[in-house]
Amino acid sequence: MRLLVVEDEAKTREYLRKGLEESGFTVDIANNGLDGLHLALEENYDLVVLDVMLPALEGWDVIKRLRDKKNIPVLFLTARDQIEDRVRGLELGGDDYLIKPFAFVELLARIRTLLRRGPAREVEQISVGDLEIDVIRRRVRRAGVRVDLTPREFSLLQLLANRQGEVLSRTQIASYVWDMNFDSDTNVVEVAIRRLRAKIDDDHAVKLIHTIRGMGYVLEVGERG
Amino acid sequence: MSRLSLNARLALLFASIVTFCLAVVGTILFNALSRQIYAQDDLNIVLSARHLRRLAAEMDDLAAVREHQARLVSLVLGDAALALKIDSSDGTSLIDYDPPHLPLMNLAATPQNQRIVTEHLQRWISAEDVPMRGIATLATLRDGSAVKISVARSMQDRALMLEQYRSLIWMTEGSAVLIAIVLSLLLIRRALRPLQNIADSARGITPERLDARIDVQRAPTELHALAVSLNAMLLRLQQGFDRLWQSTTDLAHDLRTPIGNMRGASEVALTRVRSAPEYQALLVSNIEECDRVTRMIESVLFLARAESPHFALKRTTFDASEELHRIGEYFEGLAAEGGVDISIRGEARINAERELFRRAISNLLANALRFTPAGATIVITVTASSAGTSIAVQNAGTGIAPADVGKIFERFYRADASRTDSGMASGLGLAIVKTIMDLHGGRASVQSEVGGLTTFELYFPAPG
Repeated sequence: MRLLVVEDEAKTREYLRKGLEESGFTVDIANNGLDGLHLALEENYDLVVLDVMLPALEGWDVIKRLRDKKNIPVLFLTARDQIEDRVRGLELGGDDYLIKPFAFVELLARIRTLLRRGPAREVEQISVGDLEIDVIRRRVRRAGVRVDLTPREFSLLQLLANRQGEVLSRTQIASYVWDMNFDSDTNVVEVAIRRLRAKIDDDHAVKLIHTIRGMGYVLEVGERG
Repeated sequence: MSRLSLNARLALLFASIVTFCLAVVGTILFNALSRQIYAQDDLNIVLSARHLRRLAAEMDDLAAVREHQARLVSLVLGDAALALKIDSSDGTSLIDYDPPHLPLMNLAATPQNQRIVTEHLQRWISAEDVPMRGIATLATLRDGSAVKISVARSMQDRALMLEQYRSLIWMTEGSAVLIAIVLSLLLIRRALRPLQNIADSARGITPERLDARIDVQRAPTELHALAVSLNAMLLRLQQGFDRLWQSTTDLAHDLRTPIGNMRGASEVALTRVRSAPEYQALLVSNIEECDRVTRMIESVLFLARAESPHFALKRTTFDASEELHRIGEYFEGLAAEGGVDISIRGEARINAERELFRRAISNLLANALRFTPAGATIVITVTASSAGTSIAVQNAGTGIAPADVGKIFERFYRADASRTDSGMASGLGLAIVKTIMDLHGGRASVQSEVGGLTTFELYFPAPG
């Protein structure tokens, strides 16, 4: 997958390139709007990450001119989070919108969602290692033994399993599982993970729920570096 | 007109009134005077004519008329502007007394048996452009011969006099208007001086000197209300500025801690070569500090946006208890870990912006969980009345000191800054609650006894 990152701030550009490359993408970078537009029109990218405040040509203008010729997914990055800005970005043909500062895992998740394109297929059965999740009946078995979960614990596990191998940030989890779209200054998600882990992982040698310190949580078989 | 000063406008208005009044008075007086003068002259002419006809009737013949010229003329001697002419019926001039040198016109004569009245007077303008008035009558002498008596007056002197009067009136009126303008300008300026004083006071008020006020005592009664409301506005502005200043200062101070932590920990880490886990721990700690800063920025921006006049509330009506159960579910894990129960009582529908309602309740619950000891229960009670819906969050705990109760909804206010999780709490949670309640036209209040129960209550008024 080839990505183009248009960002004028050197440090941001550099960590985005590094992070995205390490996540398996091929990344080209542009440090102003004109170069970005030129590259996006000349080359074939699967997605463009576009900063709004850019020298030479603003992000808004880049997408306007880009949309005249091409229809590739565009993810806006911006430090401004007025609702009008968000609406404007999406009206101009942006596919998603991320406000700085953002968690890198969240950027990754958004990029993956955009690249998947179309709604995620609802699966009936998810299995991760010896963990089996029956989505229809909302039942969970670990190594063949039934595990009793509260409805929210089930939603949390389902989310992690649907995105297995993907790191999910606390904010993302709070938003998906409880529909809480703001930070409540508490460690609710941490506690919820701890309690879920007690039911899923505590009696087993192979741990499935992993904490990626400082970033979030991931469900997968095997350890992470 | 709108660009003219109030001063000039009032003076002009005043001058127009004066001009109008003087013009009316002047016109009335002038007309009365001229009517009076002309009436007098007309009467003289009529009387002279009557007299002359009676005298002529006593004359024997045309020769007698010539003979008695002096007697006849004496009737018009009193007024130098009068002329007398007596002609015989064949047109021969018998008497032609004409000191003002008037070309007497051939006037239509009043018949001799008709009484002479002012209506018979004739007015004309002579070929020399002199205004004239005159009367003619027929008279029969004793011998039966008829004569025509004409009396006329040159009105030039009267016209001249009235013309002088007119000029005098114009000049008087002009000077009066000028004086009125000058005087009114002076007086109005004097009357408006209190406004100037208010303006001078206002000029001295700057963001740095918002404590200055307009002297209400010195303002006249009419401007009292203005001065008082200006002062009230200044007070509100001052409070707003103070709050803004306080928030900015507090925010800057609060930013120091996480930034200091990041910088300090990173510097210490760099002083020597560390193991990979040590570096990882540092990075994680830095991310945590960044999250803290991000949360603060998000909260401050939320407050700023909520206070902006463009903020529009997206109200809906929903089941408050159902929403409370969802929020309770969110916190149930955290509560269970702390050995705290959350109990939700009551049923009601509520009209509010759901996202903000959720946020306000979450902030209260997060706050309650922070202070509730293990084994205690947080009770959330919904009560509805026709006026609105109230939600009370009650918990046992250390309570809030009376001195802190009034300040608890202020930004960056922490009753106990030394708590271990103060890094987690931004000190903005309750300020956000209050702002959300203000947006809904409701209120947030707190009651607390030290060592006893603490109750936060949110009141959402019913719409309309």
